[in-house]
Order: sequence, then structure tokens, then C-alpha cells
Amino acid sequence: MSRNVLLNNVDHHALRIDTRRAPGLGDEVMSVLTFPGEFRQLQAHYPIVFRKDAMGAFHPLALLGLREHENLFLGEAGWDVPYLPLAIERKPFLIGSNDGEPMVHIDLDSPRIVDGGAGEPVFKEFGGNTEYLERVSSVLRALHEGLQQNAGFAELLLSLELLEPFALDVALRDGTKIRLDGFYGINEERLRALDGPTLERLSRSGALEAIHMVIASGMHFRDLIERLERRHAAGRH
Amino acid sequence: MTHPIRHVVILGGGSAGWLTAGVIAADHATQGPDGLKVTLIESPDVATIGVGEGTWPTIRDTLRRIGVGESDFVRECDAAFKQGSQFVDWRNGAPDDRYYHPFALPGGYEEADLVTGWRQHHAQAPFDYLVCAQPWLCDANKGPKQFSTPEYAAVSNYSYHLDAAKLGVFLRKHCIEKLGVRQVSDHVTEVVAHENGDIAALRTREHGDIAGDLFIDCSGQRALLIGQHYGEPIDSQKHLLFNDRAIAVQVPYADPQAPIACQTISTAQRYGWIWDIGLQTRRGIGHVYSSTHGGEQEAEDALVRYIVGSGGREQDITRIPRITINPGYRRRAWRNNCVAVGLASGFLEPLEASSLVLVELAAAMISDQMPATRDTMDVLAERFNDTSLYRWERVVDFLKLHYVLSQREDSDFWRDHRRPETQPERLRQLMSLWRYQPPSRYDLYRIEEVFPWASYQYILYGMRFMPETRPAGQRPEPVQRAEGCFRETAELARQMHAALPGHRELIDHIRTRGLPRI
Repeated sequence: MSRNVLLNNVDHHALRIDTRRAPGLGDEVMSVLTFPGEFRQLQAHYPIVFRKDAMGAFHPLALLGLREHENLFLGEAGWDVPYLPLAIERKPFLIGSNDGEPMVHIDLDSPRIVDGGAGEPVFKEFGGNTEYLERVSSVLRALHEGLQQNAGFAELLLSLELLEPFALDVALRDGTKIRLDGFYGINEERLRALDGPTLERLSRSGALEAIHMVIASGMHFRDLIERLERRHAAGRH
Repeated sequence: MTHPIRHVVILGGGSAGWLTAGVIAADHATQGPDGLKVTLIESPDVATIGVGEGTWPTIRDTLRRIGVGESDFVRECDAAFKQGSQFVDWRNGAPDDRYYHPFALPGGYEEADLVTGWRQHHAQAPFDYLVCAQPWLCDANKGPKQFSTPEYAAVSNYSYHLDAAKLGVFLRKHCIEKLGVRQVSDHVTEVVAHENGDIAALRTREHGDIAGDLFIDCSGQRALLIGQHYGEPIDSQKHLLFNDRAIAVQVPYADPQAPIACQTISTAQRYGWIWDIGLQTRRGIGHVYSSTHGGEQEAEDALVRYIVGSGGREQDITRIPRITINPGYRRRAWRNNCVAVGLASGFLEPLEASSLVLVELAAAMISDQMPATRDTMDVLAERFNDTSLYRWERVVDFLKLHYVLSQREDSDFWRDHRRPETQPERLRQLMSLWRYQPPSRYDLYRIEEVFPWASYQYILYGMRFMPETRPAGQRPEPVQRAEGCFRETAELARQMHAALPGHRELIDHIRTRGLPRI
């Protein structure tokens, strides 16, 4: 499944990473975690939805497909939109806790890891970080800090009753039926009914912009369905 | 007589007063400038310590209606969950003499004849486990919902065990801060009357006369308004239900991680019964008994034996004063412009946690049907009294049912319960029908019964009152379908068992993380 270990320049000196955007490298996921600071770039291409976890907490996600393990943005030609979600870009690295401190970890079970040979080196000959690692570290930092915003943002949405559950029933041209369930979106009616002081508060905190980005991203459900139709037509599943 | 109703005055705090204040204020915009004014007068003396009380699933709707959050409520009222009641030793005291009265309706009752299916093919099996998943869940100490289930939503139908005194405090804060209820801390010294017998005002020691249009008497057993002022008598039910004393104690859990029962446990005794209600931090345990049939010392000894036998330690017991119960109710709860809610309107032994649900039903009716003017009030008062009387009588029937089916021979108490002259006529008539057909919506036919027909089934069949074969046949399909329903119930029980957290685990999660709003 995954084997996360603390990254160090001794055990992992020789590691090389396959950084291509291609199938079979662990990116076949239906959704990725995101955070309000990333909504602006995401909303240009991906639907942004919310999901409730087993503990009852809400998290924003960028939707990449309509079914488990389905990524409709990834094909033989690579990733076909300009913006790559941070949660994808950071792989196979992640932030883990080491004695309570957030540190860079690596998933040793990731198919992106190639021992020696072709691929991006992680460390330089004498153990220093490569530019690649520096870049990934800043992606990880941005993601890690960004995710801290989620609890407060969710609480704000819930307190104003701006989240509502939705389900999407899709019927493809070939008769396949898909139900997208268990997600939450913005209740636009409640948003329109908010009073002046509340809107001002939301605007100043940046939350209002994030809310509108989520709403704008809704147009991409159509795109996902179209992408799936094209795949079916091309004989893939 | 077309005097508009603009100001409701409630006498008495506690759970009845504040539940009623909350429902009315939430429904009638009391917070706003044009809303109905609600004033609650309560004594400045500290409320008595709560022993733990049970509720029915209606309480979830009531709390949501009042606008309080479930997570806050669970934290502040020492609340735990309740999926029903369990009755132990009521039939004959044999080791297997225990049955559940769960909140969920029997699975498949609409499409199958479950009772005949049980009787013909599973007569040795317990009815409750066959038709309902909740007995399985309660045996396993499972909570009724998941961490991610929204506030007030259920996976398995539930209500709460709560500290009634804490509930009053919790609701008081909400009513004053969020709902615009005016609270007056004072003593009422006199009732000031209009010429027509209506109450004009309540005279208080420090706040003068507090006038109002509708007065709600939540002053408990003292019943200052309905009892002392209007002289409406209590119609005693002691000749039917016998129990007139209670000894109540609080018992801490032996170990902070000890399981909390997800049901009220009622264990029959020689001349009464013992309740065992699990709150978060401690249990509320009490012995309800009949002083006609036995003495206080033996009752106390039985209580101590029960506590020690159920994992408590005698030295940990906090005692609470003995309570005298006058089982009965006022035939007219509404007189002129005054209506009694809660203990002021009556009290019966807490065998099926009827007290708070009767408060909820009364508060909802008063609020939903709030008279606009004084001249329409009399029509509503009569309807209220009719409904209230019907409900009290049905509660008496239902509680008596637990006793009449017993086979215990260990005392006159149990034998007396089986004597026909101590049984309400309506109950005897129903039981004659139930020899051949199960309790149904034809028997309990009003829209808002306190206890629906399913409750009667759980008691009847838990006490193994087996229906007899009818002289003429019936269609076979409903009985055939019952088998499928029993299998579905078993499957549902397995799924829920796997998916639900432990009861204490759920409460701990709510205390630290709360429940999601949606």
C-alpha cells in the first residue's frame, strides 16, 4: 500500500524519481486533497467538492474522476491541463511527523522510485539536496501549510450553513450509469441570503473568494463527464 | 374577550419550565421586537441534584426545534444514548427472563405478519431479537450512530439518558441568551385574579406583579397555580399502579472505562422495581416500590444488593432523599388561562420514561396551537384537556401491562396486579383482543400516541404472551414473508454491529470532537 519513511541522504542517496506524467506511476486517483489557497488555480480545470471523513470532519477535494481510481486528466499523452494539483506534484514525497516535527518523508512503495539509472536524483553526489528536491520541498511546505486552513474554513462554512450534500446521477451515452454520492457543495441560496456584515467578514478573510472559486469550479462536472465519454468511445475504461 | 395573547408567563424552571419556554420562544419569535413575550419565574434556591432521567426519540426533534446543538447538549447534560429499555425478572425471575423494548419498529411490519411468523416458526426464540437489530446492539454496548453521522441523525433510533437538573441549566442559558426569554429569579407570594377567574398576574417578592395573558404552571408537585390556586385535584392511580415511594442514588462507575449501557435497565423486585440509568460520569439507580406491600428498609437493602451486584461499590453511593410519589394526574390540566405542564399536571412511576415526553407533547401542543386571543383559548383548552387525559390514561394502561403479564408469585404485590379489579377496563378489553391479534394501529389510533402499537407488542411478546390460533384461517402470504423479514433484520444487525462504534467511544468522541452539523 504505502511505506512512508523519513527521507535521509544516507539510505536514500541513490534514489532516482520518475517524474513523468504517465499512467502506472500511482496517479490513478479519483480525487486529491486541496485547500482554499489552491482553489484559484484549481477552479480553472477541476470541480472542487467537499467530503466528510470518518471522524465527521470536512475536507475540500479536487475531483479528477467520477469513480474510484479513475483519473480523467491523465493519459498516454500525459497530464492534459496546465495546472497540476500540489497533492499530485509532491508524489512520492509527503510530510510526516518525526518526533512531532514535520519532516519530508518518502513512500518507498511508490512506483515512481527507480533505484539508480534513469530518473531525477534526489540528492547530490556529496549528500546535498538537488534542485529537484528543493522544489518538491517547497511544494510540500505549501501543501502542508495550506491544509492547516481547512479546519477553520470548514467550520466557517458549517456555521453559516453554506455546505449542503449533493448527489450526481450520470448516464453515459453507452448506457453506463454512475452515481456520485457523499459529497458536499456550496448552498448558493444561503450564500445569497447572507447579510452585509457577514459578507464583509467573509470578504476580508479571503473566504468569500474561496467560496466563489468552489462555485465556479462546478462547471467542470460537465467536463469530467465529457472526458469519460471520450474514453469510453476510444474503447478504454 | 378578544384580548390578544402577547405575553406568556411560565412559573417554575427545571426541565419542564425551560423546555416549554424554549419551544414557545423558538416558535414565536420571542427574540424579535414583534414576537410573543415569554417570562419565566423561578425560585432562586438551588435545584435538586438530578438522578438521571430517560427520554424518548421525540427529544431530538424538540432540542433541534429549540435550536441547541446535540454536541453541546451531550457535553453539558452528562448525557448518554438510549436505544430503548430492558426489563429483567418481570415474568418469573428465570435466568433468561429479560427482554428489550427498543425504539425501532419491528422490521418489515408493513408487509408481513411478523407475530404469526414468530409464533408458528420461532416460538422458542425471543421476539425482540427476531424483529429488531437494537437488542443485538445494546448487548454489544454499541452506540446508535457513527462519528460522522450528523447531529440528531440516527443510524439506530435513539434518545438520551440525561441529568434533568443540568438540562434545565443548559436550556435556561440558551433561552435567555439566544431566544429572548426573560428570566425572573423570585418567589411568588400571591396569585392576582381577574373577576372571571383568569389569572391577571403573579405577585412576587422583589419584582412586583408580573402580569400575563397565558400562565404555564411548571412548579412541580407544589402546583401553585393549577393545584393551590385553582384547586384542581389529582385523580389518584394508586389503586391501579400501587408504587408510591422511591429511593434514588447516584453511583460512580467502578472504572472510568466501564461500559455505559445503551438502554434503561428495569429490574423487577419483590414489591417494585429498580431503575438503572447510565449517564456519562455515573449511574442513576433507584428503587420504586409500594409502601402498601413492603417496607423501606427491605427496599433499601434490595437497592444496595443490586448496586453491588451490578459493579458498584457501597461506599461510593451518594444518597438522595426518599421521594414520595402520589401517582395520578389532573383531569383538567388547563383551567381558565392557566395550563399545567410537567409534575404539576401529574406523575406516574418512571417505568417507561413518560415524564419528559409528556412535557414535550404538551409544550408542542401549546406552542403549535398558541391561542391568538383570549376568547379562542377556551376551545383550545378543552381540546388540550381531552388530549391530555387520553394520554395519561394510555400511559396508565401501558405501565399496567408490564405488571399484569407477570407470573411472579413471590409476594402479594404481584398477585394484586393480576386481580381484575386493579386493571383499567380499556386494558382488559384490549388484552381480550390481543389473545387473537397483535396490537395494531387500530388499538392505538390517535395521531400522536405516547406509546405506539409496536411498544405494546414488545411488552406483550417480551413477557411471552403468546397469541392463540384463530378459529378460521387467514391468507398465508403475510406469514411467509415474515421469514424474509427476520433474515433481513439479522443481516441489518450484523451490518450495524460492524459499522457502529462502542457507546463510550462515541461519547468520548463527541466530548472532544463533537458531531458534524450535516
